Amino acid sequence: MANFDQVSLLLLVLVPLAGAALAMFLPKDRPRDAWQFAIFVAAISFVLSVVVFLRYDYGAGGVQMVRSYDWIGQPVNITLHFGLNGIGAPLVLLNGIVLLGAVLISQTITRRTRDFFVLLLALGAGVFGVFVVRDLFFLFFFYELAVLPMYLLIGVWGSSTDFGTFLRTKEYGAMKLMLMLVAGSILIWVGILALYVASSQAGDPTFNIDKLAALQQDGAVSRLTQMWVFPFFALGFGVLAGLWPFHTWSPDGHVAAPTGVSMLHAGVLMKLGAFGIIQVGMILTPQGAEVWMPVLIGLGTVNVIYGAISALSQNDLKYVIGYSSVSHMGYVLMGIATLHPVGLAGAVLQMFSHGIMTALMFAMVGAIYERAHIRDSMILNGLIKRMGTTTFFFAIAGLASLGLPGLSGFIAEFMVFTGAFRTYLPLAVLGVIGAAITAVYILRLLARSFFGEGDPQWDHLTDASPVEKGVGAAFVLILIAVGVWPAPLLRVINTGVESALAVF
Amino acid sequence: MPLAFLIPVFSFAACPLIILFQRWLPLRGAPLAILAIGGGFVVWALTTVSFLGAAPENPACAVSGITGALTCHFSTSWFEAGLPGVAATVDQAIHLDWGIIIDPLTVVLLGLITFVALGVQLYSLEYMKGDPRFGWYFAWQALFVAAMLTLALADNFLLLYIAWELVGLCSYLLIGFWFENPGPREAAKKAFVVTRIGDVGLLVGILLLWVNVGSFSMTDAFAAAASGELGSGVTTAAAILLLLGAMGKSAQFPFHVWLPDAMEGPTPVSALIHAATMVIAGVYLVARAYPIFAASPEAMMIVAIVGLITALGAATIALVSTDLKRILAYSTVSHLGLMMLSLGAFGWTAAVFHLMAHGFAKALLFLGAGSVMHGVGAHGDVDIRRVGGLRRAMPVTAVVFSIGALSLGGIPILSGFWSKDEILIAVEHNLPVIFIVLTMLTAFLSALYMARAMFVVFFGAEGEDSHHAHESPLLMTGVMSVLAVLAVGFGWIAFNWPGAFGGIGGFVFYDHAEKFHFNYVLGALSIILAVGAFVLAWLVYVRRSVSHEPWRVRFAGVLRVVERRYYVDEAYQWSIDRVVLTVSAALAFFDRAVVNDVAVNGPADVVRKAGVALRLHVTGHVYTYALAVALGVIGLAIFWWLRSV
Repeated sequence: MANFDQVSLLLLVLVPLAGAALAMFLPKDRPRDAWQFAIFVAAISFVLSVVVFLRYDYGAGGVQMVRSYDWIGQPVNITLHFGLNGIGAPLVLLNGIVLLGAVLISQTITRRTRDFFVLLLALGAGVFGVFVVRDLFFLFFFYELAVLPMYLLIGVWGSSTDFGTFLRTKEYGAMKLMLMLVAGSILIWVGILALYVASSQAGDPTFNIDKLAALQQDGAVSRLTQMWVFPFFALGFGVLAGLWPFHTWSPDGHVAAPTGVSMLHAGVLMKLGAFGIIQVGMILTPQGAEVWMPVLIGLGTVNVIYGAISALSQNDLKYVIGYSSVSHMGYVLMGIATLHPVGLAGAVLQMFSHGIMTALMFAMVGAIYERAHIRDSMILNGLIKRMGTTTFFFAIAGLASLGLPGLSGFIAEFMVFTGAFRTYLPLAVLGVIGAAITAVYILRLLARSFFGEGDPQWDHLTDASPVEKGVGAAFVLILIAVGVWPAPLLRVINTGVESALAVF
Repeated sequence: MPLAFLIPVFSFAACPLIILFQRWLPLRGAPLAILAIGGGFVVWALTTVSFLGAAPENPACAVSGITGALTCHFSTSWFEAGLPGVAATVDQAIHLDWGIIIDPLTVVLLGLITFVALGVQLYSLEYMKGDPRFGWYFAWQALFVAAMLTLALADNFLLLYIAWELVGLCSYLLIGFWFENPGPREAAKKAFVVTRIGDVGLLVGILLLWVNVGSFSMTDAFAAAASGELGSGVTTAAAILLLLGAMGKSAQFPFHVWLPDAMEGPTPVSALIHAATMVIAGVYLVARAYPIFAASPEAMMIVAIVGLITALGAATIALVSTDLKRILAYSTVSHLGLMMLSLGAFGWTAAVFHLMAHGFAKALLFLGAGSVMHGVGAHGDVDIRRVGGLRRAMPVTAVVFSIGALSLGGIPILSGFWSKDEILIAVEHNLPVIFIVLTMLTAFLSALYMARAMFVVFFGAEGEDSHHAHESPLLMTGVMSVLAVLAVGFGWIAFNWPGAFGGIGGFVFYDHAEKFHFNYVLGALSIILAVGAFVLAWLVYVRRSVSHEPWRVRFAGVLRVVERRYYVDEAYQWSIDRVVLTVSAALAFFDRAVVNDVAVNGPADVVRKAGVALRLHVTGHVYTYALAVALGVIGLAIFWWLRSV
């Protein structure tokens, strides 16, 4: 196994990437083959992610499974440097799970199936890359690799919706998502270059995160630099994390995206942003982070309340979940901004928990949309009659979303509140109130669309397919398992939090 | 005794088993739920025996310095978060345990819950027969009971909160059990959301205690509060926040609105909610966290005032309601108010005693109401003006219901009389005189509405809906009969019986053991009021020799206000429709029109329009460029010429 550790992280990136490359050579007109091949690749990735997570030694902590491949030597110094810490490990696991789920659920993609899975697997490879790479150049590379396929995935396979007073085409959703995220990337790239310049002024030009962190500890990066660089990272990555007021790409993106893409989008892609704020912003520019955190927690709180209140008056199921994601990512941002061990651990756990929960919700909404061809909660009624299992799974995801104890969301949100209570008490109280508002919109949605006397026009609906049921059941089990016994995740996360906060 | 954790675990396990395998199990798995709670009851009995016996030698047990009661703890590590390795900084990590506490309060509460739940589930076998979701019903029942048992056993605030929320969830599922109809659906949502508003207070209170104590352990928090280390401001704030949670669950004004609507669920569920689960959680929380309340006179006064307002207000509404279950529901609200009042008046033992006595009687009354519905074939509402004289068709139900009503009405030697008497003593002793006057009034009203319900439904003239009434099956009447025995005799545990048992005050007490005592003046007054109320109701509703019509006319205005339940529901509805939803719609519009269409699409439009405008300059014709070059040259020439001049 020691040999495996040498290459495990490389494999994690390479398997889906190679899968994407190989899939290009599949015959064009056999969608089922493409789907099965993608399942095969995603299943290997899933197993790898589980093994990597289990191989991470939480007793030792720190960065593990390190392996470096030189790419461009002196004087530029870019290396493909792999390494996993306690924050990346649970997210690798999350990506393994959600990627497999998204591929399975994409059985319904029948148009240009092969191309769809090529892009989906490339996206998955990019996400794995961001979580396991320790070099800013490649982090940026993988970040873009994760983001760019979204444009095509939404633009080609998405759906346009007419909301009466306004229209949301898939092209609009794809374009807006792309432009906003690219704008964020530019900010990130400026920040990365600023640090690179600082390191070269110190005589050792490098993109290596660990080296840059060490330089920062030695005082090579001035406080002033850190103060202006941190906002670039916070905003740049923040856009992807759904930071208010740069969140509007997210709900519109969901409305347009096909189900599998929505699952990855809300399940893991938004986590990249939060992960970047911790891994790059906090660790490399801690002095800047300390100065700007009050602003970030303020915006995070706005996210929570604003997202929840907006979700309250949405009728489209995907808009409700989209705004709910904005709200829940607010807890992640709040937890990060506390700079408190419990709050930060809560933020990371919330990333995991929200990833599973929201992917489950989108999977179930996708199943409904597939059959009813509508997502308007005012028109859907009494779905439980014909789609009992779908309703059951959606309800459990909804309960996790409103922070019901016994499900994973509660533990995470509770920890965020705990951290925030120590540091920013009034905002923490607002966060708790946000959780209560969540209960209102989730229960309204359940009462309106899922329960109720039923409408004869929906009597033809059929319940979720075996694949959809399988994915749903697995996700529900994870939600319950983490909610009841969070220790296996938390003891890994704790080590990550320890190393992240060691720089302060 | 360490195995007490099994009491809820049986029922927790039963829930998923029934959900998954109901299709193949006999009776859709209902026996599994009953076995689980029965097993819980047996473990409770064994625990009680060992607690009463060998407890002092147990290393896990000690006499608490704060409550004065023997208290046992058992726990095992659950999870740690933050920096658990850094021992020096307590505030950098949280440590959570699965921990249970066993003390007299827990013991009596577990007894009430397991016993009533067992009875209700047996009764439900008959009552729910033929329901298409029979299995689901028992699965949710099992989860409900399990959550409530965990709540009573939890020895840290987080575990308590978890159980607390699960209780809320199960009430949502059971109240909305017949979700095809709008009534149950709305009632379920209302119950969850209203209690959740209170829960915000509870969670904030728990976190506030953590920030100041550094632990979620109740023992630590109580020690800090009792020793004054917490500071009076924080203590009062924490007490009030915990009280908010308690007010939500225990349906105290102004959070009482969900409970009367909760009768939309199957009637046995109401029996469970009103007697043994859910609503007693709030009273239990205040009783459990009493060291925090007792350390703050302001908080105690607030508890008493909230209790009194609730008790009196709900009693008046119960008196004018015409739906049998609604009368019982407001009666519960009123009695919960009395318990809170008692807690606020330092009548800790009296509150717990009344909790028990009321629990048995109210379970009996709701099961009786269910039996009436079963007998007359009603679904949903039972309008007491349309049923009457049921004592001939349903003799057993009539007898047991009357016993419950007499007990709750405070007729001497029945349970309710003794527990109410203890509350009166506490209120009279510790609070200003206005409190005892209003409490007496509440007691009178309480007897009056119970008498009204009992006489109208079972005695007097036959109603239009009662022609085809028939007695309920043996299983239902059997359960009710057992509860009736308790409604009669449970109160006698108050006395100082000869032998080791020193009355309930010698076992369940706060700070110091209390002997049974009887205030003859108060006792006589309360007997006169209670008996007087029953006689009055008999004259009005059975003999019809006294008419209340002139009174109804003279106080028509007041009556309307009370009949509309003081417009509290309307106020809620208005604030949700007009305030919350308006704000939400405005914000959603803002998000689309301002944040998206202006701030996001705006720059995009500017870029596009700039492109359109600039594009005109790129004509592709050579003469245009030549002209530009010529103009540039001329311009530069003029510039140089001007400089040289």
